[in-house]
Amino acid sequence: MITTLPPLNEADINEMDEALGEFLKQTDATTALIIDKGGFMITHKGDARRFDLTTIAALASGAYMANETIANLVHESKFNSVYQQGENYSMFVNCIDEYCLLVVIFASKLSVGAVKYFAAPTGEKIAEQLRLAQERDPDSGFDLSALNFADSESLFRKRV
Amino acid sequence: MAILNAATKEVQLKIVYYGPALCGKTTNLVQIHKRVQTAPGNKGRLVSLATNSDRTLFFDFLPIEAKTIKGFKTKFQLYTVPGQVIYNATRQLVLRGVDGVVFVADSQYSKMAENVESFQNLEENLRHVKLNLTEIPYVLQYNKRDLEGAAPVEYLEFLLNSREVQVPSFSATAHDCTGVFETLNAISRALLTKFINQGTPQYTS
Repeated sequence: MITTLPPLNEADINEMDEALGEFLKQTDATTALIIDKGGFMITHKGDARRFDLTTIAALASGAYMANETIANLVHESKFNSVYQQGENYSMFVNCIDEYCLLVVIFASKLSVGAVKYFAAPTGEKIAEQLRLAQERDPDSGFDLSALNFADSESLFRKRV
Repeated sequence: MAILNAATKEVQLKIVYYGPALCGKTTNLVQIHKRVQTAPGNKGRLVSLATNSDRTLFFDFLPIEAKTIKGFKTKFQLYTVPGQVIYNATRQLVLRGVDGVVFVADSQYSKMAENVESFQNLEENLRHVKLNLTEIPYVLQYNKRDLEGAAPVEYLEFLLNSREVQVPSFSATAHDCTGVFETLNAISRALLTKFINQGTPQYTS
């Protein structure tokens, strides 16, 4: 298998979106994302216009992974979050499971304590949904072979 | 790791450009960013985490969307690794979740040892993230073909592509975009084919 994350269907995404929506209500945070540790964004809730979420996902996963490696180098075995404090917006990244992270962008005037507090149960709900997706028949719901990518023309063209 | 999101009908795939220091990995991404034909909004910004002297420190990152195929958006995230030897821990981080690799070799004779060393380093670092080159699609790009000291392609093939399964290789001069899109299209197609078949990488011309 090329994937380590399971294929996600609409019900999975809806459940995760609901968890993120509830989290945003509880904390008043601006935007919440679920990303994988390779840098992909899986889903998000909240304000998406103000930020470049694709790039934030790639950089947040890199920052988290780099900090985790540093923590290991100083013999710190318990590492599961990164907090970046800003003047306008702050960011909190929390580990969901082996593959995914929860990224929260919130106004700096808000308490990081509440964000941390509610991030834990939100992460558990998301992890549970990912577990359910993993247990399900990975090919259920759609037939990938219909895509027939190999017959497509050049995917990218150069501007002349 | 590829992400398949049936809710949003998206496939997201990660390609890493790997190779020795100063072989032209970043130049590939710069040229793709500059010259790719895309619909508005399908090309993200090119982010470079570089040193003051423009050497890659962590990675370069370019998100780019190919055309929609049968209703599925195909999104690629292109990364480079820092080529300098001291940044090995960083290379391991960037390889996490990789779906396909472009190995960029420097064609100059004087760089052959570095090419081979970097290729071996790629194999080691893939093992570190529990992958190996027989499982993931990769292609080779022989860059800097315009330089006088460039070794023959046959020699590069002998050094880097004489394994049991030979992979597609492309001659390139990345600074003028020669071979850059051919390389990108080859790895993209190989990756999507692999993603569908979930098996051994298959290469289509």
